[in-house]
Amino acid sequence: MTVPGRRAADRLLGLCLLGLAAFVAVQALQLEVPFSYDPVGPKAFPLGLAILLAGLSLVLVAKPGDNGHWPHGALGLKLLAVLGVLLVYATLFTRLGYIVTSLLAITLLARLFAAAWGKALLTGALMAVGSYFLFTRGLGISLPHGLWLSALA
Amino acid sequence: MFDFLIQGFGVALSPLNLGLAFLGALLGTLFGALPGIGPINGIAILMPLAYTLGLPAESALILLAGIYTGAEYGGRMSSILLNVPGDAGAVMTTLDGHPLAKQGLAGPALGLSAVSSFVGATIAILGLTLFAPLLAEVAVMFGPAEFFALMVFAFASMSVMMGKDPVKTAIGAVLGVLIATVGVDSGTGVLRYTFGMAELYDGIDFVVMIIGLFAISEILLMLEHANRQDGEGDIPPLGRVFVSLKEILFCKGAMLRSGLIGFIIGVLPGTGASVAGAVSYTTEKRLSDKEGTFGNGDMRGLAAPEAANNASAAGSFVPMLTLGIPGSGTTAVLLGALMLYNITPGPMMFSERPEVAGGLIASLYIGNLVLLALNLPLAGVFAKVLTIPRWVLVPGIALLAFVGVYQLHSDLTAIYLMLAIGVFGYLLRKLGFSLAPVILGYVLGGLMEENLRRALAISGGDVEILWRSGISLGLWIAAAALLVLPWLLPKLLAKLQPGNRPLEQVEDD
Repeated sequence: MTVPGRRAADRLLGLCLLGLAAFVAVQALQLEVPFSYDPVGPKAFPLGLAILLAGLSLVLVAKPGDNGHWPHGALGLKLLAVLGVLLVYATLFTRLGYIVTSLLAITLLARLFAAAWGKALLTGALMAVGSYFLFTRGLGISLPHGLWLSALA
Repeated sequence: MFDFLIQGFGVALSPLNLGLAFLGALLGTLFGALPGIGPINGIAILMPLAYTLGLPAESALILLAGIYTGAEYGGRMSSILLNVPGDAGAVMTTLDGHPLAKQGLAGPALGLSAVSSFVGATIAILGLTLFAPLLAEVAVMFGPAEFFALMVFAFASMSVMMGKDPVKTAIGAVLGVLIATVGVDSGTGVLRYTFGMAELYDGIDFVVMIIGLFAISEILLMLEHANRQDGEGDIPPLGRVFVSLKEILFCKGAMLRSGLIGFIIGVLPGTGASVAGAVSYTTEKRLSDKEGTFGNGDMRGLAAPEAANNASAAGSFVPMLTLGIPGSGTTAVLLGALMLYNITPGPMMFSERPEVAGGLIASLYIGNLVLLALNLPLAGVFAKVLTIPRWVLVPGIALLAFVGVYQLHSDLTAIYLMLAIGVFGYLLRKLGFSLAPVILGYVLGGLMEENLRRALAISGGDVEILWRSGISLGLWIAAAALLVLPWLLPKLLAKLQPGNRPLEQVEDD
């Protein structure tokens, strides 16, 4: 049984991929190639791929299949929240240093995956500090200290 | 002709490499047993850390191969105990494994699967030892045109065998190849698809790609699993811990046959453990299921797919080591890892870098023994891994992903790129794509273009060179034949498949 909405997702995907194929082709055609002995050059391969992709996308538009359930409502919001946490984690990673940002990110992620505040904080603290020493001492990776911590040290 | 193996054992038996084989097997089993983390995710997450150890190529490969085979072992834990396959290769394991666990035979079931995994892997490693050098000798005759045809064949075989939807598998592979075109064109120095970003001049970094595609998208997917609460039941009691010799002997035919089937399927490029498991299970059911016990906890129904999926894991090293064409998504990741060491696997590897090829094969023998030794007595300990809550697991994966990418260049752009690729991977998976073709396309894309252009440079632009030799013509015909099969195969498979188990949310490896 196919739900019309799910088929629509594949149609839309097919159209997006068609757009991508066109974009790839246009970009490839605009490449300015210096003289070389290579008879093929850098254009042909992406152009061929674009044509192949366009053909496959048309098949997808013509014969869309099923795809999985998309998250709705609360779950969709949670998904965005997880992405948000990961983005903030990335942004603050070097500024606040590994331990502080990781503590923050782990605690929030644990909360989003349904841990209680106490457990989430404890996990965050243990994991952030433990992994810091494992990575720096054990594996010799240099991790950001954060500006304020290096001022103390 | 087995000089490489003797030299290989010399490499693999050094204390460092022995330790790494052990560590890999242990980590692999643990990661494979974690709910939702299959072999490919395990390797993706652990690989960057392996680099920070500053290991030589053969040692790094031994560690990664240990993780790979270990994860194939570990994947059965959640299949048997919770009826939740840890990866696609373990789907068939649930059919008879879980009923056994419900009968109070979880311990023997785990033991039996360890033994059959060992038997399957041993058959395949022996096959690898025998056939890989032979195939390498044939492959020395391959020129660029033959390699190009071979890659076309590999993609064709993958489209047919991997994933539910051949069109989407093909699209995934094309997208992967397209991603590989980003960066400086090696032939002319022209920048392609870099959009003026200096970070993209060298192309999209392999580590960033696999961590984003597998680890980050897994985090996003786990949110849904956590919400649905599927299979978060209690672990059944293990019962007696050891499997009896009588039970093992009862399954010996199933193990041997399935090991052979698994090896052959593993050798074919693009077909992995999931196909091997399905084919061996259905074969065994047809041969041995006289009393209709398959599906209700027949030990042979557990032994068959377990032997087959471990055999296919080892078998997929054959095309990877000899032709440089990975047999599965996971070997594609291993291939990419080798390329980071400036080693391009292929026919010359057995003569030019015998310590890598031989060391890897020798370490598979050792790793296989280590795995059996670890898994028989420690099944109960590994089973505990299943109880790790997601709110510990997910932050852990996030940490490993961030540190793994950050340590590459101490650069935040790579982390943002990783997150973007993660969202891309998540969307693909939600849209019913398998990620294995994408990673295969990404790993093979550069080589494919290089071989095409080299072939045409030899012929001065005459495309006829692509199918002039017998080998390449044969490969083109085989590829074309494979592409006709998708219309026939689903009908055949529908007849063979015992009951239509939903394969939703299970990633091919």
